[in-house]
Amino acid sequence: MESIIKLIGHFHPLWVHFPIGILLFAILIHGLSSWEKYKKLEAALPFTYLIGGLSAVFSCITGYALSNNGDYDANLIFKHQWLAISVAVISILGYVFIKIHKAVYLKWTAFVLLILIFLTGHYGGTLTHGEGYLTKGVFVEDKQVIKNKPLIPNVQEAVLFNDIIQPILEEKCYGCHSSIKKKGKLRLDAQEWILKGGEDGLVLHAGDPLKSPLYKNILLDPVDEKHMPPKGKPQVTEQERRLLEWWISSGASFNKKVKELSPPSNMQSVLLAVQNNNGPKIQIQAIPSAEIGPADQKVINGLKKMGVTIVNVALNSNYISANFITVPHANDTISDLIKKINDNVVWIKMPGMIFNDPLVNVLADCKSLTKLSIENTNISDKQLAILNDLHELQYLNIVNTKISLNGLMQLNNLKKLNQLYVGQTNIKETDLARIKTVFPNATVNFGNYNVEKLITDTQILKVPQKK
Amino acid sequence: MSKQNNKKIIQEANLETSHQITRKYFFKECFSGIGAMALGSMVGGCDWLGSKDSFGNFTNTNPLMAHAPHFIGKAKSVIYLHMAGAPSQLELFDYKPELLKLDGQDCPQSLLDGKKFAFIRGVPKMLGPQAVFKQRGQSGAWISDNLPHLSTVADEISFLKAVQTDQFNHGPAQLLMHTGSPRLGRPSIGAWVTYGLGTENSNLPGFVVLTSGGNNPDAGKSVWGNGFLPSVYQGVQCRSEGDPVLFLKDPAGIDRDLRKASIDAINEANQLTYNEFKDPEIVARMAQYEMAFKMQISVPDVMNINDEPAYIHEMYGTHPGKASFANNVLLARKLVEKGVRFVQLFDWGWDSHGTDVSNAVDIGLVNKCRTIDKPITALLLDLKQRGLLDETLVVWGGEFGRTPMQENRDGKTLPFKGRDHHTEAFTTWMAGGGIKQGSSFGETDEIGYSAISGKVTAYDMQATILNQLGFDHEKLVYPFQGRSFRLTDVHGRVINEIVA
Repeated sequence: MESIIKLIGHFHPLWVHFPIGILLFAILIHGLSSWEKYKKLEAALPFTYLIGGLSAVFSCITGYALSNNGDYDANLIFKHQWLAISVAVISILGYVFIKIHKAVYLKWTAFVLLILIFLTGHYGGTLTHGEGYLTKGVFVEDKQVIKNKPLIPNVQEAVLFNDIIQPILEEKCYGCHSSIKKKGKLRLDAQEWILKGGEDGLVLHAGDPLKSPLYKNILLDPVDEKHMPPKGKPQVTEQERRLLEWWISSGASFNKKVKELSPPSNMQSVLLAVQNNNGPKIQIQAIPSAEIGPADQKVINGLKKMGVTIVNVALNSNYISANFITVPHANDTISDLIKKINDNVVWIKMPGMIFNDPLVNVLADCKSLTKLSIENTNISDKQLAILNDLHELQYLNIVNTKISLNGLMQLNNLKKLNQLYVGQTNIKETDLARIKTVFPNATVNFGNYNVEKLITDTQILKVPQKK
Repeated sequence: MSKQNNKKIIQEANLETSHQITRKYFFKECFSGIGAMALGSMVGGCDWLGSKDSFGNFTNTNPLMAHAPHFIGKAKSVIYLHMAGAPSQLELFDYKPELLKLDGQDCPQSLLDGKKFAFIRGVPKMLGPQAVFKQRGQSGAWISDNLPHLSTVADEISFLKAVQTDQFNHGPAQLLMHTGSPRLGRPSIGAWVTYGLGTENSNLPGFVVLTSGGNNPDAGKSVWGNGFLPSVYQGVQCRSEGDPVLFLKDPAGIDRDLRKASIDAINEANQLTYNEFKDPEIVARMAQYEMAFKMQISVPDVMNINDEPAYIHEMYGTHPGKASFANNVLLARKLVEKGVRFVQLFDWGWDSHGTDVSNAVDIGLVNKCRTIDKPITALLLDLKQRGLLDETLVVWGGEFGRTPMQENRDGKTLPFKGRDHHTEAFTTWMAGGGIKQGSSFGETDEIGYSAISGKVTAYDMQATILNQLGFDHEKLVYPFQGRSFRLTDVHGRVINEIVA
């Protein structure tokens, strides 16, 4: 008997489309028939309503069968179920209205039915495909929300469950064990659910990973029915497995920090790998996002002939990097050639270049520029100001130049500038706060590094004298 | 009689010429002969004598011209610091407190069964860590007191703690590390990179090698060789003491114009020969003449560390004129700054067997560490303050690791504490060039004998280095003897775990 119910339930995803199609068709007929030209269609109305209603009833039965053996979110099931039942009832009601010649109500019936069908369908879709399926990946904002792993600047300070374990569960388990689906009546998306367990009982035994199905099932042979995540789904990595193991064996705490649990030495490297201390991740885009056509090959060859190292940034990109390392004097020919390909140039290296105003103006016309290295040059504050229109610029290296703080602050239009190298200039570390007012997101490197002098640096260790 | 004599002489001349004509030349002449014109044009159409490579980087005009990588790479150049002889991970980065407890005990038989060691015979004793370890920086990386300076920049580095190799002798292991094969004949990684990317500075070689420690690496110059790639891509080894490059001055009576004219004339003749034989080695020779001519101007400037400011010498611990690893490290920074693609440093003397004081893990090794600690730390910081660390990948490592057991060469107790060659687990690290800061990947068991997670091989390191430069290691290929070869052969996985 149970298997027959199960089988009936499995027909639900197929069958639901009949009432949707037929009832929408009924509503369409209804709408059209108010038009003189399609008046005749009215004759089909009772039949379509009846068939639609009956198929809706059968859909409800199959749906109920499925909800009994499926592992779905009860809340969603409740909504979907009662909306569907109302669809069935109202469509039958529609048939009755026509039969008892109360067609005046029919207009309202059709309207309510239309809304109900869409709502029922939406919740049905949410049940099978998961929450937010409709808009997922459609809007750009959504894309960024997905996979936003917590930042862990210092793993010792991280809360083990929230920052390390939960993201693993989210990535590898939530697909079937969360608000979306509850396979095996198990949810893992909150502490209370994890502690509650599933239909086979508890999944977590604090302190004993090998007794906890939450961990043990990961170890099973991949062909085993109980192996988790199931065959074909993204598997738990070795690093994640060890983190889960340690989390459970250390007592499965939900609020302790890593350092409070005093991780054993063999967990250190695993924990280190989780750490992400790059600070707030500033996505450095190497090239502008806009596409660009290829640069004139003749111009490129001309520049090569002049000694400029000029090359596409990658085989699949038309953006160009230009290195003037062997050309300390860029003459007019070079300037003219660069002007012809200025939109393609994204990286320029001019270390030691001898600048004059016309040359700086040529640079200022390279509007795609993201990276500019003009260290060890004679560039002046006044000339630097000319570069204030390089809106794409992200990296600027002015190490060992005469640039002053005021000179740098003139570049207040360069909103994308996020990497600044200002060592050996007139700009000092004490200026950081002021620099941040213009470039709030920038990492500023002031150089001046020093390696401490230790006595042992030059000492030579000898064989200890035996007494 | 004279007629017959003439005939004889001509015959003899013909015979002589045919001896001199090479096999290749003979076949080529045959094909272009009138009788075989059809066949010749067919085969000739396949460019069967010329070098044809799928990446298309070898051009007969300028083989070192800069090229675009497959995708946008984070790194533009590489500094590879190889500690030849294999430094002991157990005294530097792989902290094993459990091993200390076992110090002096007999090695359990389970660790020896079915294993082969270079020198250990019978049952050796376990040897605890011969250094004091501390966790360093925010990342908490374990670094021993042997490297006090490097400890201050731990947060710049990504450690690979479970590197494995299958070669337990220096030569083959070094070859594997640098050429992707334990046997001779493959191009080194620097050669591959220069072949793929060319050079940023046409006045300098693309691939420079500097050695220190008094010896070349055991594998010889093949670790920076070009293998089957055109020889223009081989590493250029500079002298480590005195002038890095000799004969930079023109001889008396020869001015620069005359030298240029003579090189042009020679190259013109070479070009004619190339047109006929299509031997890429001729192009390599032409490029090298050109390079040598340019280097006469560029080298004295770049290769001279005397003019570096005092604070730089202080920082690196350099003493101009003396052969030292520190000097080489400073040179490496200068070269990379000038656009050299690949700089490889070999430092000899890390083979800590314990046969004498210079290779004792608690004495000689400490002294070796003191020679590299300051310069490497200075290198990372100096690159950083010049805005170059992001685009310069720094790699540090040896060719294998060392055993957690004390070496007992020929079953005897050695006069000093030492460790044998070990293939199953050792530590290397990378920094800069788009590598994660303050990270670690891979792990060994409680005594540092075997890798238990995050295992990587030389191929994986090579794939990662190429990846950082913008190459798909499976696509950087060169056709040779009928098939396309690549650095990682049929292996290699990019170690994404340490890529930022």
